[in-house]
Amino acid sequence: MPQETGKQYKQMLKSFLRTQGEEDLYLGQQFSRNFIEKKIAPEDVISLHKTSIEELIEDLPPEVSISFDFLIEMMIHYGLALKEHQSLIRKQEAIQMEMDIAVRMQNTLLQTATPEVQGLDIGWISKPAKQMNGDYVYFLNETSSQVCLAVADIIGKGMSAAMHMSMVKFGMDSLRYEKRSPSEVLSFINKMIEKSISDSMFVSMFYGKYDTDTATFRYASAGHEPALFYCAAEKEFKLLESKGLLLGVQEEAKYEERTVKLEVNDFVVIMTDGVSETRTENGFIEMDFIENLLCQVKSENAQAMVDYLFNELSRMQDYQLHDDFTLVILKKTK
Amino acid sequence: MCANIEMMMRINWKNRETDRGGEMNLQVEQVDKDLVHKFKIIGEIDIYTAPKLKEHLAKLEQAEGMEVELDLSEVNYMDSTGLGVFVGFYKEIKAHNAKLVIKGLNQRLYRLFEITGLNEIMEIEQIEGGEDDASV
Amino acid sequence: MEHGSSIEINTEWDIVAARQLGRNEAKETGFGTVDQARITTAISELARNIYLYAGKGVIKIEPVRAGQRAGLIITASDEGPGITDLQKVMEDGFTTSGGLGAGMPGVKRLMDDFRVETEVGIGTTITATKWLH
Repeated sequence: MPQETGKQYKQMLKSFLRTQGEEDLYLGQQFSRNFIEKKIAPEDVISLHKTSIEELIEDLPPEVSISFDFLIEMMIHYGLALKEHQSLIRKQEAIQMEMDIAVRMQNTLLQTATPEVQGLDIGWISKPAKQMNGDYVYFLNETSSQVCLAVADIIGKGMSAAMHMSMVKFGMDSLRYEKRSPSEVLSFINKMIEKSISDSMFVSMFYGKYDTDTATFRYASAGHEPALFYCAAEKEFKLLESKGLLLGVQEEAKYEERTVKLEVNDFVVIMTDGVSETRTENGFIEMDFIENLLCQVKSENAQAMVDYLFNELSRMQDYQLHDDFTLVILKKTK
Repeated sequence: MCANIEMMMRINWKNRETDRGGEMNLQVEQVDKDLVHKFKIIGEIDIYTAPKLKEHLAKLEQAEGMEVELDLSEVNYMDSTGLGVFVGFYKEIKAHNAKLVIKGLNQRLYRLFEITGLNEIMEIEQIEGGEDDASV
Repeated sequence: MEHGSSIEINTEWDIVAARQLGRNEAKETGFGTVDQARITTAISELARNIYLYAGKGVIKIEPVRAGQRAGLIITASDEGPGITDLQKVMEDGFTTSGGLGAGMPGVKRLMDDFRVETEVGIGTTITATKWLH
């Protein structure tokens, strides 16, 4: 440590012992910047204090002097932890930068345009709990009278889920110009995923196809949350369940296909478990809770309904999503 | 002085436990008899505890004709990461021509196996009087 | 004359003994109070690692002279499991993991030179030097 610093410290301490004035303390505060600039460790500062006080007070009890040795020992460890902490923060900043790039890449990769379909109002949202999304929404507008959509949920969250998801996306893209039924699409994606997914990974997917000419919605599910169907005439919700195994568990899997006919003001709600398994401090919400929320806004447009549910459910979790949140609403308008 | 050090080590250890937010709340009890292996899983299976369960199951040496029973009657919560552990374990069991039974599922867990279609390929049993749902 | 000394680490008491030895040697070499404490802390970390993960080992403390410079070399050697991922052990943040090699970045910061030789299944030797300034 520079001798000059030692001398100055002793001088300031001496003055403070005499006056105990605020001015000395202010000087001391300014002076402590020196320590940081000159990279003087906390333990060195204590040692400096010990030397100074020994010189300033002639009959200092030896115990007081020795007690500083104890403090020095403590501060060495404390200083190490502090340095490590600072270095971790720098490292975290670097990771964050890489993460931002990954998030931007994912957003580019997964962007999907909401199709314009005659007589069908479409609203949707997909928000990750962490930075990367493990949920996936994919729209395909084959002809003006048909729209297909897939909602997928990759097990886990974050980076791992996001990387597996790109696999699903490329599978979907490769089917772009083939007219396949929902169950055929799921079988195809299952075979593809099963080959390259690790043993304890899987994907759930809901796939549906809406035909404007017949106003029917044809759907199949690979281990996905059942969708909700609201029948305006009966003012009632029904679960759209169809049997099918998760994607990636075994090579051969059968997917049941079902249809539902939509009348004006009927709507279909497709979600991931980030919506249906909303966990509050009072436990999990039940499906009728979601149904009640939907009822309150059933006359709004599809996007307004989606936004309302998202706001309500995220508020219940104190705006900290526990899981990726994806919700799609298809509403027949005419 | 030695007592002092022991105290220090306890302090360190305690900090480490709390750092993980006490989320490591999972126990596995195992009973083996010949080719039958019974596991009782107690606690929550989520993203934090799933690796522990996976590790525990991985220790089991797979043998032809073996029977594994997993008792989940004291599991009140499981997320998809937990389901992943069972899917991975099932694949391994199947590869060894062994048998897997998952029993003691509460209503909510049973529903999870149903939605995912896993009930069609795995042998699962709902808890007796499975009406009560421990997860809420 | 070589007046270095070494101590076997088998129990937690030996960690305390190694610290004491280190402090004495550091004083004799001419280090100030703070550097004595730094050297002792480094020895403490190294000895604790031996005790926790290798079970037993040796801490050697010897004065060194290179030209005009004088200093102290600490060698910690064990026949324990060895360190699989040295890079990881030396990363900040690993200290708090409590795993094998915890505290190594700290030892490196406290000393001037630091070197690890390790082989999985064979053991680990860590050499750390502090120079008098």
